[in-house]
Amino acid sequence: MNTVFSEEQRDCLQELINVAMGLASDKLARFLNTFVHLQVPAIELVNSTQIPAQFEAQYSSAEAAFVSQGFLGNGGVRGEAIVLYQLDNAHRISALLGYDTDSASELEMLTDISSILTTTFLNGLAEQIDNQLSYSAPRVLSSRQNNVTQALIDTACHWELALKVDISYQLIDHSFNCDMLLLIPGEAVLNIQQILDRIVEEY
Amino acid sequence: MSNDWLTGPILEQLNSGVLVVDEDFQLVYLNSFLQRHSSVQLTEVKGKSLFQVFADVPEAWLRRKFASVLELQSPSFSSWEQRQYVIKLPHLRPVTSSSQYMAQNCTMLPLHDPTGRRYVCMLIEDATDAFVYQQHLQTTLQKLEQSNRVDGLTQVLNRRYWEEQLKLEVQRAQRYRQPLSLLLFDLDKFKQLNDQYGHLGGDSVLIELTARVRALLRDTDWFGRYGGEEFGIVLTNTALAGAVEVAERICLAVSSKAVTFHEHSIQSSISVGVAQLDTTGDRAHEVLIGQADMALYNAKKEGRNRVISYSAGETAFMVKTV
Amino acid sequence: MALPVLICDDSLLARKQVRKSLPESFDADILTASNGLEALTILRSQEIGLVFLDLTMPELDGIGVLEAIKQDGLDCFVIVISADIQPEMQKRVTELGALAFIHKPVNPEKLIVILKHYGLI
Repeated sequence: MNTVFSEEQRDCLQELINVAMGLASDKLARFLNTFVHLQVPAIELVNSTQIPAQFEAQYSSAEAAFVSQGFLGNGGVRGEAIVLYQLDNAHRISALLGYDTDSASELEMLTDISSILTTTFLNGLAEQIDNQLSYSAPRVLSSRQNNVTQALIDTACHWELALKVDISYQLIDHSFNCDMLLLIPGEAVLNIQQILDRIVEEY
Repeated sequence: MSNDWLTGPILEQLNSGVLVVDEDFQLVYLNSFLQRHSSVQLTEVKGKSLFQVFADVPEAWLRRKFASVLELQSPSFSSWEQRQYVIKLPHLRPVTSSSQYMAQNCTMLPLHDPTGRRYVCMLIEDATDAFVYQQHLQTTLQKLEQSNRVDGLTQVLNRRYWEEQLKLEVQRAQRYRQPLSLLLFDLDKFKQLNDQYGHLGGDSVLIELTARVRALLRDTDWFGRYGGEEFGIVLTNTALAGAVEVAERICLAVSSKAVTFHEHSIQSSISVGVAQLDTTGDRAHEVLIGQADMALYNAKKEGRNRVISYSAGETAFMVKTV
Repeated sequence: MALPVLICDDSLLARKQVRKSLPESFDADILTASNGLEALTILRSQEIGLVFLDLTMPELDGIGVLEAIKQDGLDCFVIVISADIQPEMQKRVTELGALAFIHKPVNPEKLIVILKHYGLI
């Protein structure tokens, strides 16, 4: 599956994602009033059928959550962003976001955190390719009562290709780790390749 | 806000709420949908604080949401599944609908005016239909779960669910080293009774006797229908002597009073086998059933309408007859 | 005389972006490196007047390069170009001797202002 992107396209996408991460981290740091340590996100293109196996080991415990949010831009850029994380991580960041358990349920907190991470990151990506994205409301596809792997299998089967972006947010006195997956349908991959080619040509 | 011929009228006729506030949460715009549902006029509330006009909104929560929209310049969402509504509004469903207020899906979006001033726009979609369906679904699922556990005729537990409970109680008794006893009883001469009064007659005896038995049990006991006219009772935290006492009370409650069916008065009785858990291992519940069944067999053999408890010596007999 | 310039970034696209952002009037002899170690090898073997330095790179990151430049007393101007744009990071690289900090994606006008400010064009 890695062959669908040329080395130049891959390099270009990695750079766009790095910059998007930087923009997102800066916004988050200002919003949370803390320093966010930026790590270079590793990107990997995977056949969507391989996803469940990749995440099974890491998220097989019952204390993991999985939130999905659709995105849609101009020029046929569309897909589904999935954020996966361990619940104890979520509790750590929720305190920073000013949540207390009285005013918001755990599910509400999960969707908020995921939405913030997803939209700030993808907005940074869209900005660089002169695009604008709209988003569907985030949905918790699995939390403590449901099986993460099964939910991933059900979701992944709708997509041909997945762009796996390992994102690790480390906050100055808290660490927060999560994985983000961008699931992209076949024809949108072609559209994204065209955009990458245009950028590579420009320089 | 709505000064062109296309977007203006659409915004005003939209079947969703549109609300815009500035950075200080002062109301800038409400579309007709929101004005009508909340009975406020834009001209009267423009420039006033959102929290003053809609006093019921969860202020701390909404401030945090709007702050993230403004700071991060990205949308924020609220779903009826997690928070039924943000602004209390009546809905237009018939009064039979169980929810009093409109269930809402809200989207909060960042906006700018030409001078660069920042605003938050909140779109409010009516999700009452989904909310009502969800409630129906939950009620139905609860009923379904209930009917999956209960025997339709007698309303005691059905065999599958009862056996599951027996298994769990046996494990619990083993873990906490507490006594546990099992009663198995059978309505005497049920076939004869059916032949004489018809199946409806037989059914009404079963209904009446289960009601009498249930009245004698504790909340912690598990009463289930094991077969056609055979029933089982799991007595938690009860040793053999106590179980025999309960069995005798049950036996008497059935035989002491006839069941009235139409103009008939039907006299009936039961035979009861009692056994106390004394084995360990995974199959202990099956052994226990075997022992109680054995005692029940002896109660039948010795003339019915009586209680017989299982004693260890009978194992040899059981092995021999198998 | 052309100024020897080193562009150090692990991304080919990023290196091209920097090169393209330089004004035509800027007479430079451009070398490239795709990680910190490569950059140090070049810096130690020849005179480089100006370095455009990325921060997040494999092998040796930009902070490591800045520390080595300071330690070795290498004589060159460093302009950091990074996706990590938080104020704390800007402060840190300035303390390590970087002239300026530009965030990605590179804005050519901003780059020109900086080059003019330091008399490089």
